Amino acid sequence: MAESRKTVEDARRFASMVAEHQGWKLMADPEFLGTLVEGLATNHNRYGYYLCPCRDSLGSPSADEDVICPCEYAQADIEEHGHCFCALYQSPAFHARGGEPASIPERSPRRG
Amino acid sequence: MIESLEYVHQEGTKRDHSVVVYALSTCGFCRRALGFLKNNDVDFRYVYIDNLPSEVKQTVKQELRERYRIKELFPTLILDEDKAITGFDREEWQRQLGLA
Repeated sequence: MAESRKTVEDARRFASMVAEHQGWKLMADPEFLGTLVEGLATNHNRYGYYLCPCRDSLGSPSADEDVICPCEYAQADIEEHGHCFCALYQSPAFHARGGEPASIPERSPRRG
Repeated sequence: MIESLEYVHQEGTKRDHSVVVYALSTCGFCRRALGFLKNNDVDFRYVYIDNLPSEVKQTVKQELRERYRIKELFPTLILDEDKAITGFDREEWQRQLGLA
C-alpha cells in the first residue's frame, strides 16, 4: 500500500529532480507530460512507489523493482532512442529537436 | 475472459476494421493512441487494463500474450481480432488502419 499519498505536483517535482540530477530533460509536450506525472502519482498511490506510467505492475515491489522510475533501462534507452520507455525523460538533443516520441522496445526481461 | 470485459465504445464513421485497444490509463502513448483513433474518426473499443481487478488483469494479459504471441507492451492494438500491434507509432498505425 502507499506510504503516503502523492499529488501530481509531488510527482512533477520528483521527475524534475531526477532529470536535473541525471542531465536529462523532461518531456516537452505539456499534455503528454501531464499524463505521465499524473500517472506516476496514480501509481504511487496504488502501489506505494513510482512505477513507470507506461508499464503495468506485475504484482509486487520485487517484481517491479527494475521499472520503478527512473527505470534501470532509462539511460540506455535515452542513449539509443533519445527518450526513456515512457518518454518522460529525454536527451537534451532529442528535446531540442522537438521530435515526436514513439513507443520503443521493452528491455525488461520480466515483461516478455 | 477478454470477450467478457466491459469496453468503452468510441463511435466513429470509419468501420473498415474491428479495432480494439488495450491501454493503461497512466500512459502517455496510450492516451495519444486513443486520441489518434478518435481524431481519425475510427470506430473502436478500448479498456484500461490497469483499472481492472488484479486477478482479472493478470488473466487478460496472459490471454493476450498467448493468443497473439506478443510481449507485454501498451497500447496494444488488436486489428480484426487477428493481428496485434504493440506500442504506438503514428505512421505504423496509419499504415495498418489504411489511414495513410
